[in-house]
Amino acid sequence: MNAKRIKRRKLKRPGPGKIIVSVILVIYSFLAIFLIGNTILSSFKTKSDLINNTIGWPREFTLENFRIVLVDDGFLRCLFNSVFLVGISLLLLIAVSSMTAYGLAQYRFKGRAALQTYFLVGLMFPIQLGILPLYIMLSRAHLTNNLFGLALIYTANMSFPVFVFTKFFNELPIEVIESARVDGAGEFQIFGRIIAPISKPVIATVALLNFVTIWNDFYMPLVFLTKSSVKTLTLGVYTYTANFLANWNKVFAAATVALIPVIIVYLLFSDQIVAGLTGGAVKG
Amino acid sequence: MRQSFAYFCLERRMPVRKKKAYIGFIAPGFIIYTILMIVPIACAVYFSFFEWSGIGPMKFAGLDNFKKLFFDARMSKIFFNALKNNIKYLVCVLLIITPLQIFFAYMIYIKIPCHKYIRMMLFLPYVISTSIVGFFAIIMLDPNIGVGNSIIGALFGNKAKLAWLGDPAMVFKIFVMVVIWQCIGSGMMIFYADMQEIPSEIIEASIIDGAGGWTRFSKVVFPSLSASFSTNITLSVIYALTMFDIPYILVGPQGGVNNKIDFVNMVFYRYAFGGTYFGETSIGFGSSISVTMFIIILTFSFVTRKLLKGRAGREDRG
Repeated sequence: MNAKRIKRRKLKRPGPGKIIVSVILVIYSFLAIFLIGNTILSSFKTKSDLINNTIGWPREFTLENFRIVLVDDGFLRCLFNSVFLVGISLLLLIAVSSMTAYGLAQYRFKGRAALQTYFLVGLMFPIQLGILPLYIMLSRAHLTNNLFGLALIYTANMSFPVFVFTKFFNELPIEVIESARVDGAGEFQIFGRIIAPISKPVIATVALLNFVTIWNDFYMPLVFLTKSSVKTLTLGVYTYTANFLANWNKVFAAATVALIPVIIVYLLFSDQIVAGLTGGAVKG
Repeated sequence: MRQSFAYFCLERRMPVRKKKAYIGFIAPGFIIYTILMIVPIACAVYFSFFEWSGIGPMKFAGLDNFKKLFFDARMSKIFFNALKNNIKYLVCVLLIITPLQIFFAYMIYIKIPCHKYIRMMLFLPYVISTSIVGFFAIIMLDPNIGVGNSIIGALFGNKAKLAWLGDPAMVFKIFVMVVIWQCIGSGMMIFYADMQEIPSEIIEASIIDGAGGWTRFSKVVFPSLSASFSTNITLSVIYALTMFDIPYILVGPQGGVNNKIDFVNMVFYRYAFGGTYFGETSIGFGSSISVTMFIIILTFSFVTRKLLKGRAGREDRG
């Protein structure tokens, strides 16, 4: 790899400009570390400790805040709702969008190009534009304040996943599919037994990116999940921060509960999340 | 090569048998996507011509909803103030955020010291929920308990303390900084991915030709970013014109002090869903705001596409 060698040569002695930029950005990164670290640390502080010692190491560790937030204030329910919503949404979204993309990529039929364009419309027009009619439709179907109803909406927002999957399926080695066909496998059998396993990497990138967006989504739950029994973690955190002085000791624990899963996922899979984001985006 | 080979196979051998299976693959997606994505947008257009509160009969109103939005003394003021903020933000995207994203992407691309760590940390806030970002903003910027005022108070005394989000002159700037902190990573990574696609021979040749750092960037790297440029601009335009989460969480549904960070989508939310808090709920009027956003997005996308076409046409990779 020539490029690698060149870059390594450059790396030997970085110029002063590069060092300055690097130092500035490293210092800038401390802001994120401070904010996240302080939130997690403060969630273990006692109420009185928190008032005098908002920033810094806890004088004594307590799990009391988590108990209050999770048990007394029903955050356990929010946690469950978020996990359930993300799980069912990802399952539906990936199943439906990968099948659609497979149909669009691997078959030749009349109107295929038009249909491909049709599925891309959602990239241009965010689902928010139709949210009012969508709300009316769902409330008529008794699917508002319903996690499954919201999962259906996330599934409908499939333009980008369909796009990414289509790109992947376009480059599949055809011989595999052909030989399976010769062996007499049905089309859906081929998809389930052969295509799905070799698509694991692209499924992972789509799943991870959408895990992050759905887990963090604020607008859709705000509109569609108004009852406290179906609230997600982001809404739960917001109800605390909207009135943070009254909830000062709870809000750190609540934020920590919502933060930890995404931070762990990010530390483990940041490359796949980025790949999911840029997967289809660059080559347009 | 590989792709064209695949296409060759597809055209020749694939469609011989079981042609109809594609219907089974596409139908579920088609139905869900059409009913929950396309039909609602079409319905919004339809509703915008009616006066309807959601229950009871719909009354045809012609263009009355749009007239109210654009010309009603009270309403048009709210709407155009919000639209002005959307456009102001879009200008910030083009003049500040996008250049910063390209700059950071290039810094990572040329592997400044600690580039892996920097990449990881710059992208990190992207995965943090906006409601938590809002909480972080409180920790930093709350006038009474925020870190910002504690530092200022310690250095310059209590009089120098700032109102931060309560200050009409500062609130928009803070909003943009919060956006930069949270969202800079996504666009940066899209630019970075595009930079990595630049063939190494081209970079090598430019080094041999003795091109300096700046020349290499402006003559070699920057011109090859057309694909990521149009992607990022399109995404940014949509994001800018549907801005909602961050201002809502920072200052609440009214757009803060003097409505300085009120946005069209927040106006829409207040009229469409905020009936209990803000008086009237009108499906027709709310829809007319959606349709207006729809048309604005369409126009901006069209214009950016036209503007970028001149650049993208020259070098069509992908």
